[in-house]
Amino acid sequence: MRKPFKTHTFTMISNFCMSLNPKRKLTFLIASLFLFLSASAQNAAEGEKLFKDNCQSCHAINDKVVGPALKDVHKRRDEAWLIKWVKNSQKVVASGDAYAVEIFKKYGSVMTAFESLSDGQVKSILAYVKQESEKAPVAVTASASTSSTASANQATNDSMKSNINWLLIIVVGLLFVVIFLVFNILETVGRIQGHDVVNWSSINGFLMLAIGLGGVALSIWEFMIHAPLTVSAQKPASEHGPGIDSMFNITLLFTGIVFIITQVALFYFAWKYRAKKNTKAYFYSHNDKLEYAWTIVPAIVLTILVINGLKNWNKIFSKPAPGTANVEVFAYQFGWTARYPGADNTLGKHDFREIGKANALGVLTDDPKSADDFTSSEIHLPVNKPVTFKFRAKDVIHSAYLPHFRVQMNVVPGLPTEFTFTPTVTTAEMRTQLNNPKFDYALLCNKICGAAHYRMKVTVVIDSQSEYDKWVSEQKPAFTKSATIETPAAETQTADAGHPVSNKPLAVK
Amino acid sequence: MSHDHSHEAHGHAHVHHHEENFITKYVFSQDHKMIAKQFLITGIVMGVLGMLMSMVFRLQLGFPDMDMAFLKPFLGKWISVDETTGFGKLDPNFYLALITIHGTIMVFFVLTAGLSGTFSNLLIPLQCGARDMASPFLNMLSYWFFFLSSLVMFCSLFVEDGPASPGWTVYPPLSALPKALPGSGTGMTLWLISMIFFIVSALLGGMNYITTVLNMRTKGMKMSRMPLTIWAFLLTAVLGLLSFPVLFGGSLLLVMDRSFGTSFYLSDIPVELTGGIERTGGSPVLFQHLFWFLGHPEVYIILMPALGITSEVIATNSRKPIFGYRAMIISLLGIAFLSFIVWAHHMFITGMNPFLGSVFMVTTLIIAVPSAVKTFNYLTTLWRGNIQFTPAMMFAIGLVSFFIAGGLTGIFLGNAALDINLHDTYFVVAHFHIVMGSAAIFGMFSGIYHWFPKLFRRHMNKAAGYVHFWLTFISAYGVFFPMHFIGLAGVPRRYYANTAYESFDVWMDVNQFITICALLGGLAQVIFLINFFYSIRKGRKSEQNPWKSNTLEWTAPVEHLHGNWPGEIPTVYRWPYDYSNPNYTEDFVPQNVPHEGQTDENQEFEHPHPTT
Repeated sequence: MRKPFKTHTFTMISNFCMSLNPKRKLTFLIASLFLFLSASAQNAAEGEKLFKDNCQSCHAINDKVVGPALKDVHKRRDEAWLIKWVKNSQKVVASGDAYAVEIFKKYGSVMTAFESLSDGQVKSILAYVKQESEKAPVAVTASASTSSTASANQATNDSMKSNINWLLIIVVGLLFVVIFLVFNILETVGRIQGHDVVNWSSINGFLMLAIGLGGVALSIWEFMIHAPLTVSAQKPASEHGPGIDSMFNITLLFTGIVFIITQVALFYFAWKYRAKKNTKAYFYSHNDKLEYAWTIVPAIVLTILVINGLKNWNKIFSKPAPGTANVEVFAYQFGWTARYPGADNTLGKHDFREIGKANALGVLTDDPKSADDFTSSEIHLPVNKPVTFKFRAKDVIHSAYLPHFRVQMNVVPGLPTEFTFTPTVTTAEMRTQLNNPKFDYALLCNKICGAAHYRMKVTVVIDSQSEYDKWVSEQKPAFTKSATIETPAAETQTADAGHPVSNKPLAVK
Repeated sequence: MSHDHSHEAHGHAHVHHHEENFITKYVFSQDHKMIAKQFLITGIVMGVLGMLMSMVFRLQLGFPDMDMAFLKPFLGKWISVDETTGFGKLDPNFYLALITIHGTIMVFFVLTAGLSGTFSNLLIPLQCGARDMASPFLNMLSYWFFFLSSLVMFCSLFVEDGPASPGWTVYPPLSALPKALPGSGTGMTLWLISMIFFIVSALLGGMNYITTVLNMRTKGMKMSRMPLTIWAFLLTAVLGLLSFPVLFGGSLLLVMDRSFGTSFYLSDIPVELTGGIERTGGSPVLFQHLFWFLGHPEVYIILMPALGITSEVIATNSRKPIFGYRAMIISLLGIAFLSFIVWAHHMFITGMNPFLGSVFMVTTLIIAVPSAVKTFNYLTTLWRGNIQFTPAMMFAIGLVSFFIAGGLTGIFLGNAALDINLHDTYFVVAHFHIVMGSAAIFGMFSGIYHWFPKLFRRHMNKAAGYVHFWLTFISAYGVFFPMHFIGLAGVPRRYYANTAYESFDVWMDVNQFITICALLGGLAQVIFLINFFYSIRKGRKSEQNPWKSNTLEWTAPVEHLHGNWPGEIPTVYRWPYDYSNPNYTEDFVPQNVPHEGQTDENQEFEHPHPTT
């Protein structure tokens, strides 16, 4: 749930336009209280984390997102069915299960197969969903009893809202027609009198000066207020970041100066040289020297920027040093999975034909290199160590965007892309620096990829070396042979499918 | 030069007026003035549609917790209403459809066809001194293909799965896989059909514009005496003719991938998403190259006519020659040429080889030079002028302001290294809405106010024009300026809501402010629409040359004649910018006024620009 935001500036309009439902906030408060009192808290707490990492981008408890709202899902189907569904919904649909077919038709999109989740983990998620489902009605009754008058007011507001909207539109429309008619009368009177009733030239001239120059002042003011809130104002958390930032500042300086000078000149001239009676403009058709000057000066400035930009660009995309750690970042609708190469520092082979069969990533378990690979729904990286993200997409183009590190690269199906960078600030350090104990780095999707594009993110944690080593030691290999044996159905299917024509070497079986 | 006498004969043929019925006069008209009006009105209708869509998604972005149930009557199932609370929410898929169709409509239907179609059609024959377009029939076809294309696009809004929604750039695989996005089904098919008709229309129009400008100028209308509007339209048409076919090819391959099982753009996608056929070997980046090979010139196809219109309006209303006429032409040529070799700056981080990125960064930043020349020349034209604040002039000044503001942010985005962190954020949204959205639409408004008397033989209301200008100007900056900061905070574009990220919460106020500005801007357009449609019927009757302008269209009678001029087409003796020439008492000297001692036979005779 989102932090309530400040609405003071637009209280009036906000009250009118939106219904930031007070009930919901209360729901949340009471719900969180309930969470801690709950008996199944342990299970549900694990489930909450899993839910946030795996399900949240497409599902919510009370709202439909891409998939259905999950409230009371445990009442709709039994646990065994749900586990099967979560692990591979397409298999359930293919088996002809009427309910599954209906759901698939209704929502029209393929749910990601979460074969990597164990039965226990799915159960935890279900426990969390169950707990959240039970919370909602309790909270509503609570809010209803505590603030019955408030909600009664709300109700009257709601019923009036649609009427007011229409009335307002009609009133505004009529107002415009009236204003327009007044203007028409003004113009007619002006024509009869032989001169304008209103001296538009001086009014417009004055407005040019006031709004033009005032606008420049306002933009500088906004810069002072808003620039500190941007990520560009924060210390970059990667090695190449300061290079980009300094170039940004140089560009900002040049363009800022040009912006102010030219805008001021434009509006000042408009005011200064507004039409006056009995004046004639100054005939000035060209001046070669001037024109050379303002061709050459921008050319020089741009050359400086180009050289600076090339330097940075080439440095950022220079070949990574041999031995740089690799992490595969796998994108799908709508989430991210990181795959680590494990002790051998080599990622096992993968094949898109195996996606959703042997495992969700299509990693070939026959490749001995994949035996020690492990996956994580949170990206952990050690500080001050260069790392290469190897990007792979399952379905459509995504873009891995890590604004704090000044890193972005598209993730393209069928086209391997990568980005090498060195994180320099740990999550803990950034928290103290920003004075925000809840801060987390994020990798967000920045290429339109479907309905839940706006929720597709993953947390990035920059650890100190010791923390990182500890985290790695806790991870379990995800693609061991034994893991495959657990799902024999998948194995047979793979063998049956058999792809004789392939442009990628399949591991020998 | 190009004053062949067949035009005269052509002109005389029209002295005997053949009877025209309603259909040939108003519907399947072959008269360039009527076709211009058809383009304009269709463009305005589409513009209103695109604007209303932007209002809906701005409400969603500014007030994500708003009850949208009141939109249910218009949007139907795309507003999901909670049965118990009656609370309405916009469907996330439909949000994507809204931004997609908004972008498509504004870029292609309003700012390409609406702007170029209207003013190229109106002004090329009138300012060059021709009876009509080189091929009036193809010209008519051009409009009707455009109309068909608009119709198909409009119909796609009512498709069961929703209209196309992968963004106006329609990148595959998203646009090719209906299982990844409902809008990539029938909606996307209709989008592609519409776009193919649109391209046909653009090509038919473009061929006509080029042929007419090159072959049908009147006696004495040398290339070096052409108004800058005509130069702009000519180069725009050349750009369109060279780049639209590439999009046509790109779209066709996408049609093949979607409907016929090919894999031009698809590779390594699990079969359950691709419709059962294994697709390998294609590249999604190929589509991006083909798309942006049109897409970038397209930006200048939108902007150059607006710059041409502005040059004309600013010179006329400053009562001064445009400063550096030759430099203006050279910079237009420079922009036109460079616009073909910068396309991949949209693709710095799409997986393209980084070396290509550095090449395209260099060409991209070079294009800032001719743009800077244009800006400084506009400013110098205003300097010591005698500025008439007609609504057209105000919009032209507004264009220069937007051109500066949006052009400068282009220097950030054209720099590949800076683009890493700015790509696809709101910074980009701010940049292109200012430089090609606002600037071009201001150029279009400027043209509408300036040539309304030529189009409809009446004047628009001046005061309403001023109110329209100020409200639009303020709200456009109010909408797009703060977006730069939102972008710098790393907020991606095309997000249904910014609620999933706590760090974006600080921008909630700003998003509300933007939405309120957008609504204000929308209201301002209501004033324009009332003014426009009222003035067509009831506006003050226009005199022949209301702005005391030099160009040829104002030598034609107010009444619309088939063939434009009742007698001979006027001969041109001078450049179009003799305003406030100290050798004359009047502050304007139309192009058809000979210099002292200049005759038709002695065409080359021309006084150099007076030195004062």
